[in-house]
Amino acid sequence: MLRAVLTLTGTAAGLAALLTFKSHPATIAAAQPAAPPATSGATSSPAPTSASKTHPAAGKSATPSKSQAAGNSQAAAARTVTGAVANTQYGPMQIQLTLTGQKITNVTVLQRTNDGSESDEIDSTAIPKLTSETLAAQSAQINAVSGASYTSMGYIQSLQSALDKAK
Amino acid sequence: MRPDLSVVVLSLIGLGAAAVVALWWKDTPVIHTTGDLLTGAGQVLGLLSGYGFVVLVALMARLPPLEHGIGSDRLARWHAMGGRYVITLVTGHVLFIIWGYAVTGHEQLTRQTVALLVNYPDVMMATVAWFLLLGIAAFSARAARRRLSYETWYYAHLYTYLAIALAFSHQFADGASFESSLTARVVWSALYATVGALIGWYRFITPLRMAARHRFTVQAVRPEAPGTVSVLICGRDFDKLHARPGQFFRWRFLTRELWWQSHPYSMSAMPRSDLMRITVKARGEHSGSLAHLKPGTKVIAEGPYGAFTPTLTRRRVLLIAGGVGITPIRAMFAALPKHLVGGITLVYRASDPRDVLFSRELDAIAADRNAALYYVIGSREELGYDPLAPGVLQRMVPGLHRHEAYICGPPGMTQAAVTSLRTAGVPGRRIHRESFDF
Repeated sequence: MLRAVLTLTGTAAGLAALLTFKSHPATIAAAQPAAPPATSGATSSPAPTSASKTHPAAGKSATPSKSQAAGNSQAAAARTVTGAVANTQYGPMQIQLTLTGQKITNVTVLQRTNDGSESDEIDSTAIPKLTSETLAAQSAQINAVSGASYTSMGYIQSLQSALDKAK
Repeated sequence: MRPDLSVVVLSLIGLGAAAVVALWWKDTPVIHTTGDLLTGAGQVLGLLSGYGFVVLVALMARLPPLEHGIGSDRLARWHAMGGRYVITLVTGHVLFIIWGYAVTGHEQLTRQTVALLVNYPDVMMATVAWFLLLGIAAFSARAARRRLSYETWYYAHLYTYLAIALAFSHQFADGASFESSLTARVVWSALYATVGALIGWYRFITPLRMAARHRFTVQAVRPEAPGTVSVLICGRDFDKLHARPGQFFRWRFLTRELWWQSHPYSMSAMPRSDLMRITVKARGEHSGSLAHLKPGTKVIAEGPYGAFTPTLTRRRVLLIAGGVGITPIRAMFAALPKHLVGGITLVYRASDPRDVLFSRELDAIAADRNAALYYVIGSREELGYDPLAPGVLQRMVPGLHRHEAYICGPPGMTQAAVTSLRTAGVPGRRIHRESFDF
């Protein structure tokens, strides 16, 4: 029982550390001195996965924080980033982001599904929804629009690749 | 017990988990919002679960290096502990994903759950898989196993394969780390395919090949004691099995009631090239049915398995057997080379004189080897003392702390004996044990 509690606590701590180091640069700078990997001692051998999780997190903290800090200092200028073309069953989807610093201010659809009038109809309702979701979420973690799975998947894919380029 | 391979295997598993986390790290953009954070947690847990399940299955694939180097009982314990852990991880994955998507999309939790089930490819199948796994976990809990038959547990456990198959596709269809990386998809698929192939080879094909080669057949069933029988199994080329004293095989007797079960029973004597003997105490449905086996019944046997076997040593050897634990111990007793060991002592602990097995054989072997043989019969109350207490053992076995000890019996007795030996100064690395509870 004790082992189970220790393992789960260790996993939760490892997960928290991992997510903290993945967060906004300001958070990383604050978190580094207070790094939690003291939990690695608490786990015992039958559950090695939790022990090893804290180590990659601790090791990785240096690199992303540096590049993020550099990106942020060039902050203010507006720029556009074009995502890769995502091919769906009904045609290609490609979106372009307009960003100010790291904030998405606009989304333009460069290419959309073109499989006839039905695509037009679906896209005309789905794309505005997806765009407003993107602006609200400021990431690619948005919902697909029901009834427009392929448009949504293509949109999200292209959006993700644009975001990766924008980092 | 050889600790080295366990450490290596556990380290490899840990490295794999680290690689999985690194995959997530590489492909995930910086977390800005609470929604990102929750979804990120869900993603990490999902990846680790997908990895965890393939590791769990691999542990049970009957891979010879693992079975021999780590031992079947230890592998079964790892699988059970790991199973509980991974099911917790996968449940965390489900909850964090729902929560994360709900927060990101500013959606209510129930509506978000429905949206995930309906809009995202293969999530419905993955959800069914999750429920199956929760069910399997429930059936495997100790409280449940006490009440349910082995048959129920066995069939429930088979659904694991189905659950893994159902959940596989949603990893690629919905997992951000896989969508963007062909390499990740290839490596992940290769991992699953490899473990699948290993299962096919070692759990299905190898036993059939062995049965074809060795033609295991029941020759006779002999009662040894109330509730205990020996089954004599004939065939050919048993010497090619390279079985060592103390090891066991997994036996599948091909009768209408028993064909679907495979159970481990130890050899009670070293095999001749055409004859083997196992001795089984009736403790459940399967072991109880063996008394009624008909000669001529075909058998599929897998093995030999077991890390409980004497290593070459010049030290004196102490064998402690409890109840039906005498089975592998008797094989070791007879097989230990006469000239090699400085002296052999066998302490045979039984609660009732009628439970004593092989007494004539044991007496003969002891005389032949000039070995010390102690029958300690009766409960502690009847005897008036604890025959496994450190002081008692030290008087029975002069120079106890310099012995190499092998213990086999019920879990409680085995643990008590191990503790006594450690107290008496026998180092852990010279104590070897096996308990029939897996």
